[in-house]
Amino acid sequence: MTFDILTSPANSPASLLFQQCLAEIVPENKDLNQIKDEIGGYFLERAEPMPLSNDLWMKTINSTAMKNIKKTKIEIDPFLSRLPRTLQAQLKDKKIKWKSFKDVKIASILPKDKNEKLELIHVMPGAKIPQHTHEGIESFLVLHGSYSDEYGNYNQGSVQVRSEDHHHTPVGHELTGCIGLAYTHGKIKFSGAFGKLLNIIAN
Amino acid sequence: MVKTANPFVAAILNIAESQDIGSFKKIFEYFSPRLKSFLMKSGAEENIAEEIIQETMTIIWTKADYYDPKVASPSTWIYTIARNKKIDILRKSRKAILEDIETAVLPAVDPKTEENIEHDQKFDMIAQHLDSLPKDQLDLLKMNFFEEKSHGEISDLTGIPLGTVKSRIRLALEKIRGKLDKNGAMADLKESGESISIN
Repeated sequence: MTFDILTSPANSPASLLFQQCLAEIVPENKDLNQIKDEIGGYFLERAEPMPLSNDLWMKTINSTAMKNIKKTKIEIDPFLSRLPRTLQAQLKDKKIKWKSFKDVKIASILPKDKNEKLELIHVMPGAKIPQHTHEGIESFLVLHGSYSDEYGNYNQGSVQVRSEDHHHTPVGHELTGCIGLAYTHGKIKFSGAFGKLLNIIAN
Repeated sequence: MVKTANPFVAAILNIAESQDIGSFKKIFEYFSPRLKSFLMKSGAEENIAEEIIQETMTIIWTKADYYDPKVASPSTWIYTIARNKKIDILRKSRKAILEDIETAVLPAVDPKTEENIEHDQKFDMIAQHLDSLPKDQLDLLKMNFFEEKSHGEISDLTGIPLGTVKSRIRLALEKIRGKLDKNGAMADLKESGESISIN
């Protein structure tokens, strides 16, 4: 994937998590992943049954997990349900610590690291973010909704890579707003044909 | 009681609706021995395989109300749960995570996805396509997606060069996707005069 070249060469937890979210959300992958699961289901249905231990059924229905969970109906957090499953799993049972800046909320996903950061960014519907640049290279993956800036519109599943001297003024979609995942690392500047903005996957 | 064509769909919906233990047993009895086969063929020891089965079944019981028959067939849903559980339990090294990203098999269960065609049709189409494949091609897919062997392992086992293994698997996936697109975009095809059949 082109993306590998543009992000950190190190497979840090932040970079891996970002890539996993990307793999999950890019429309063409979503499609392929579903097909792979269907193929798995096909073979599962036709698999040769293997005998189980005699007590497996009793062990299963007597497990505490079976007894406890059903009593409390699981409530779906409407915010979490908009995120890729990888992130849902990461954030489950944790309180997201948002920092609010007027119409934009930002939360750090992983513990602080001096070389990189991974943040969830929630732009409210119609909110305009004042013109800004980025520290290092920022890869921004649109998880939900969309946003636009002086250079274009960016939909779910698209990734924009921006260097630190790229100035822009993003605006959240007026109905849906935008939830995105920002991975920032390094302080290398783009040059030549790359320009200062690279929109890798545009829908 | 919920009635549908696929008895396992009805069973899962009954679990969701009324916590019906009989329906749960039906699912357990059919799928557990097959899951054991899947898990052991893809490298799990017997005790780990049964631990994963137990956890998978618990998830089926507790999350049955999340199941959407429009999105996945019961076998696909159960396979995906078991596979993810297996990854949770067996994931030990970063290498495993990386391989996981490479194959990127993640559940694509998004209730908001607008489906062009009903899931049953889609699953049947994939099944029919797989049924029609020559055995050596089907074996490659089985080794990759069911026994979860890496492309390198498949190459070692079959003597087929690595590049050929990769391209054959890729091609098979593309072919299935092509078929689904074709059937999903019926209007376009009608205009172009190409004949299509879904059943």
